Amino acid sequence: MSDDAILQFLDEATEVAMDELLAASGLARAELLELVELGVFDLRPGARPADQASWRFSSRAIRLGRRAARLRDDFGLNAPGMALALAYLDRIEALERRLRELECQLLR
Amino acid sequence: MKYKDYYAVLGVERTASQDDIKKAYRRLARKYHPDVSKKRDAEERFKEVAEAYETLKDPEKRAAYDQLGSHQAGQEFRPPPDWETRFSPGGFEDLDLADLFAHFGARPGRGFSGRRSADFAIPGEDYEVEARLSLEDAARGTELALQLAMPEIGPDGVRRRSPKTVRVRVPKGATEGERLRIPGRGGPGANGGPAGDLYLDIRLEPHPLFRVSGHDLYLELPLAPWEAVLGTQVEIPTLDGRISLSVKPGAKSGQKLRIPGRGLPRPQGAGGDLYCVLSIVTPPDPGERERSLYRELAAASHFDPRRHLKKGEPA
Repeated sequence: MSDDAILQFLDEATEVAMDELLAASGLARAELLELVELGVFDLRPGARPADQASWRFSSRAIRLGRRAARLRDDFGLNAPGMALALAYLDRIEALERRLRELECQLLR
Repeated sequence: MKYKDYYAVLGVERTASQDDIKKAYRRLARKYHPDVSKKRDAEERFKEVAEAYETLKDPEKRAAYDQLGSHQAGQEFRPPPDWETRFSPGGFEDLDLADLFAHFGARPGRGFSGRRSADFAIPGEDYEVEARLSLEDAARGTELALQLAMPEIGPDGVRRRSPKTVRVRVPKGATEGERLRIPGRGGPGANGGPAGDLYLDIRLEPHPLFRVSGHDLYLELPLAPWEAVLGTQVEIPTLDGRISLSVKPGAKSGQKLRIPGRGLPRPQGAGGDLYCVLSIVTPPDPGERERSLYRELAAASHFDPRRHLKKGEPA
């Protein structure tokens, strides 16, 4: 069973199409469009703004999108609320990464 | 079936208003939500809170739950006799309360037997599981056998959870905090719905020697005072064997030596780096001869490590 499983790293290196992002995240199309407008999700280069079928995102967007949908469901947030919470969570994660890096350099 | 006290989980009276229930949920969600709290048991607590709210927020489900009466949490109990014929002909013994109520009320008046939803496709559940790896396994890639409690629709149309082992191959290059997705390896869909996805949250076990930051590794490298002054050649461990490293004369504590590409590999492209963080240590129990040599050194040296702390001098 394990050999044929397609495994995806949710990072910047791999890409995902709009419909797959919608299905995996549980976001509604209108919510996703608003989050794109709010700058939460960046379109990959080469996308034609008028043609949503051409839109590609980094697969890290799946992680963000699922988190956005969870915040929506659990706290009743709308798109601007989701965007704000995601921005704070992103900052916290960046600080935690920096903290971790500095902790690694401390002598015991 | 085991009883769960949804009112106690939310910390409200059985007579609480719908509004009080909502407020209690919101307060607890802010406290225990896994995106907010980093406490060890936060996620588990939040699941309980969300499950309780899912039933109590809906007046119809709440009324049904109230019919079960009040029991000790975790106590085995039997639902009212007519429930079995109406909802679960196969019995309630191995049924989870949350699964029972998940069916309830989706289509008012039809109970929650499987027939109700036979006409529309239901996608399978997504699973998010923590995968703990040793640093060595993360570097080489590894196979994991994950135990998941997956729902299955029995012949009576009722959903029950049974343990299932899912094997996944984690390729090299996953590090702490990384998220992997395995499409279609979550719970089975129903009525032609697609299977859910499986998400792995990678956690690395602490390593006795290396500390991990992203794909970079850090190794503390102790030096004797004379090695720091004179420079030296040392052998250090890496994830793929020992290598020789030269330390230049005049090494300082806290100084980092970068060894490119000797960190964790990445799924694509070059791997992370290994950093040796120098630490100058003193002999814990020097002998008389050693002490005397240090005294001689102290008398001969003009080095003043605290020159910058002296009054009037710039730092």
